[in-house]
Amino acid sequence: MFRINLKIALRNLLKHKTASLINISGLAIGLAASLMLLLYVQYQWSYDKQFGNTENTYHLMVNFYGADKSITGTTPQASNVLPAVLKEERPEIEHISRVLWASRRLVASGQSSFKVEGRYADPDLLRIFKFNYMSGNPDKAFDDPNSIVLTESTAKRLFGSADVLNRTVRFENQANLKVTAVIEDLPPNFTYGFECLTPWKLYENLNGWPAEPNWGNYSYFTLLTLKNGTDHNAFNQKIKNTIARHTGTKNLDAAPFVYPLEKYHLYGHFTNGIADGGQIEQVRIFIILALGILAIACINFMNLSTARSQKRAKEVGIRKTIGASRGSLVMQFLLESFILTIVSVLIAIVLVELFLPAFNGLLNTKLEISYASPANWMGFIALITLTGLTAGSYPAFFLSSFNPVQALKKAVALKNNFGLSLRQTLVVIQFGFAIVLIVSTLILYQQLQYLKNRPLGYDTNALVEMPHEGNLYLKFDLFKDRLLNSGAVSAVTQSSGSIAFQNSNSTGFEWKGMAQADKKVSFDLIQTTHDFLKTMNIRLIAGRDFTKGRASDSSGIMLNETAVKRMGIKDPLGQLVFFNGKQRPVTGVFADVLWDEPTRNQHPMAIVFNAENSDVITMRLNNSRGIQENLDQITKITKEMNPDFPVELKFVDTLVAEKVEHEQMLSVMSNLFAGLCIFVSCLGLFGLSAFSAEQRTKEIGVRKVLGASVTGIITLLSVSFVKTVMIAMLLAMPVGYLVMDNWLMQFDYRIVIGPVVFIITGLSSILIALLTVSLQAYRAARTNPVDALKYE
Amino acid sequence: MIELKNIEKYYANKGVKSYILRHVTASIKQGEFVSIMGPSGAGKSTLLNILGMLEEPTYGQYEFMGEDITSLNERKRIELYRNHIGFVFQAYHLIDEMTVAENIEAPLLYKKVSGAERKSRVADVLDRFNMVAKKDLFPNQLSGGQQQLVGIARALVAQPSVILADEPTGNLQSAQALQIMDLFKKLNQEEGITIIQVTHSEVNAGYGSRILHLLDGVIKEDVTVEQTV
Repeated sequence: MFRINLKIALRNLLKHKTASLINISGLAIGLAASLMLLLYVQYQWSYDKQFGNTENTYHLMVNFYGADKSITGTTPQASNVLPAVLKEERPEIEHISRVLWASRRLVASGQSSFKVEGRYADPDLLRIFKFNYMSGNPDKAFDDPNSIVLTESTAKRLFGSADVLNRTVRFENQANLKVTAVIEDLPPNFTYGFECLTPWKLYENLNGWPAEPNWGNYSYFTLLTLKNGTDHNAFNQKIKNTIARHTGTKNLDAAPFVYPLEKYHLYGHFTNGIADGGQIEQVRIFIILALGILAIACINFMNLSTARSQKRAKEVGIRKTIGASRGSLVMQFLLESFILTIVSVLIAIVLVELFLPAFNGLLNTKLEISYASPANWMGFIALITLTGLTAGSYPAFFLSSFNPVQALKKAVALKNNFGLSLRQTLVVIQFGFAIVLIVSTLILYQQLQYLKNRPLGYDTNALVEMPHEGNLYLKFDLFKDRLLNSGAVSAVTQSSGSIAFQNSNSTGFEWKGMAQADKKVSFDLIQTTHDFLKTMNIRLIAGRDFTKGRASDSSGIMLNETAVKRMGIKDPLGQLVFFNGKQRPVTGVFADVLWDEPTRNQHPMAIVFNAENSDVITMRLNNSRGIQENLDQITKITKEMNPDFPVELKFVDTLVAEKVEHEQMLSVMSNLFAGLCIFVSCLGLFGLSAFSAEQRTKEIGVRKVLGASVTGIITLLSVSFVKTVMIAMLLAMPVGYLVMDNWLMQFDYRIVIGPVVFIITGLSSILIALLTVSLQAYRAARTNPVDALKYE
Repeated sequence: MIELKNIEKYYANKGVKSYILRHVTASIKQGEFVSIMGPSGAGKSTLLNILGMLEEPTYGQYEFMGEDITSLNERKRIELYRNHIGFVFQAYHLIDEMTVAENIEAPLLYKKVSGAERKSRVADVLDRFNMVAKKDLFPNQLSGGQQQLVGIARALVAQPSVILADEPTGNLQSAQALQIMDLFKKLNQEEGITIIQVTHSEVNAGYGSRILHLLDGVIKEDVTVEQTV
């Protein structure tokens, strides 16, 4: 029975080539798309869960309280003393370790010297995470402050081999460290990833100031494990007052708590002290997309099955009259859909393998299908079962219920109560989903362009920056002179951070006539010396840039327009602003610069003269010479003056473009998946119109005999499909509007959704549907009526 | 073998009952060859479908081999049906995707006959109908008469006690029609299979032993045929 059913199913597939092709290609595309999305979802789900003991691993967080004792903010960063104090006071803590943010650190060995992502951490970090050690002992690796743990690829890059225990690495050109362990490369979905890890003690030794206990500086990440069986809620109650107790404040204004690390990535966003999402929102979008595309593909399958149901109904009738039970028919139809599904899954896997590299490039991930994992196989089987059942459910359970006499008389009506056939309802769902995606894509695109076109307030053209490090600190003036004299650049400046993105802000500015609450106003802060506005080409509104030779400028401050407005100063030039222990005269007012995310509102900004705090050198290339020539010259001079560090020149416009990377990625993704949805939906529509034309051959024949024109018949055949798509539009557009309006809410700087989006969506979807359908209609209309009629 | 008592069938449409069959009472014995005749719309096919358990009467009692069909559950009915009834249609109703041999084998599959026996029975039937050479052809590669032969072979392979035929020769040319009717007669006389056919043709009816004349859902006449052929 099974064998003959299998044989017949295959014959059916081959006989109806178009339908099979549409079914298989649609399903394969749908499956491939959802497989890729689900791989990404799996990647997100397994964030920070790779190194065991996840149920006891926590992230230390701090809640801040306002005057009315409500929680006003939550930070994942704590002070440098809190971890040690907690460890001493709370026996529930098994291991606890501070971790510094990752920075590019210079590592060198012999000739090879380059920068890698490095972190500092306490020895306990190696006990919290069970990394995979290729060599070394995690318990002893950080006994000596002058040690370093390398990942396999860093070790190979440095020494050409991973077997490098006890060899020496020159670190940041400041210390010689012994390699005490080599671990396998860390997965990209690990929040605290690094390429080299050094002991916290070394951080204190090299810099001095981090060793000072400071309760007020919330800068450091802290990870910990609690002993098995500890209830973290009870634990949080016990540590709530730790900071207040030690700092001697009466009011509770900062309370530490621990948060499960496995939730930190996906649910790491806090509002008023309550975790309210995070990356999980994107994961949800991806799940919806994956299921939606799969549903669209399954709908194709169901639709083509129903379209063929009249023919299949006859078969059901025959089979029933020769003794088939309903069960055997259900099995037969399910078998057919499972064969199709399995073929589609195989093709889908091939498609995924083909397109995964591009997808990885887009999402900046390293997704892959691991065929060795039993969980993945379970997943595949589940996917096949789900798809096979969904796709085959209609013919299997509906067709098999036909009464044989009616089925043989072709008197099977497939209408529901709304005057829409099941098939049309499914097409409405399909196109509805596609239309929501088109609307989203268009709005995303508009918002992205809007963000990209937001005026920056400075000129990124031919602006490059490099890290301010090594010898360049001591010899900055000489370096600047040499660059200017070489003719490669027209202006050079140093600053505490890059102009491309916001990297520092501060409160505590005081000025005449301020209100008490103004103390909490946060200013974006850039610390620099001479020529900052000149180099960046920022428009000066009043006063002047910090200039060489004016001694008074060395305690000066410049403000942007928003700051002046916010501070309420009438005549800012010469007014004194108190900041960082000094009264500073305002020497200039400049036009607003877009420093924070382009999605955010303008903040007040202050540029303060301070030669001591500098991380970045920015320069404007000389426009009258070639770019490469300029870069070569800069590289040569830098290399000469700062031979221990690699020269890292970055164009500011690339850095600025990275700020809309996320929106750019979403835009590409939505383009891609909207396109796929439309394509798969149209495949289905194409199949349906073919069947509709086939079913109506007699009607078309009769009409032609009566004198109908080709256009008339095309209209006749197309109208019902276009009607269906229009219903889908009416239902889907409001949904698209609401979804995207909600999405735009997260931006301060956003577009207003106009009617154009909906007009474009409407016209294009009708046009696409019409083109798809009319092709079949044209073919049907052109046939000779005699051919159509003689078979009856 | 078949006892019909007061069979009624009607469809209610907007409160108006349209009767197909009224007070049909009849008894058909094992080995009879019965023709049901009457004008279009008289209820012939409906009666045949009720006899074949494809439709249920609105009222009345139907006993098949001593079992009250109207009170049987679905499963038992299919069981009874699989074992005793073979159907032959005017439009043949072969399954297009199956070869001749597979079409013939299909009822045995549903009857869960073992593989070896299926093979021998199919081979037997093919041989009897002189269709061994055509066993791997598909229905659309056969003429109408040949298709109907396959249809009959399919009905016979399960060794039914009754064959119900709905205008079996309606789509055939007269020569082929004669061949089919001869076959029916042979089956009836040599193997004792009860045959009930619906037909418009007096000639076809002449092959049988008894004619039920149906008019507007009522049996008007029940005549025994003088064997002339």
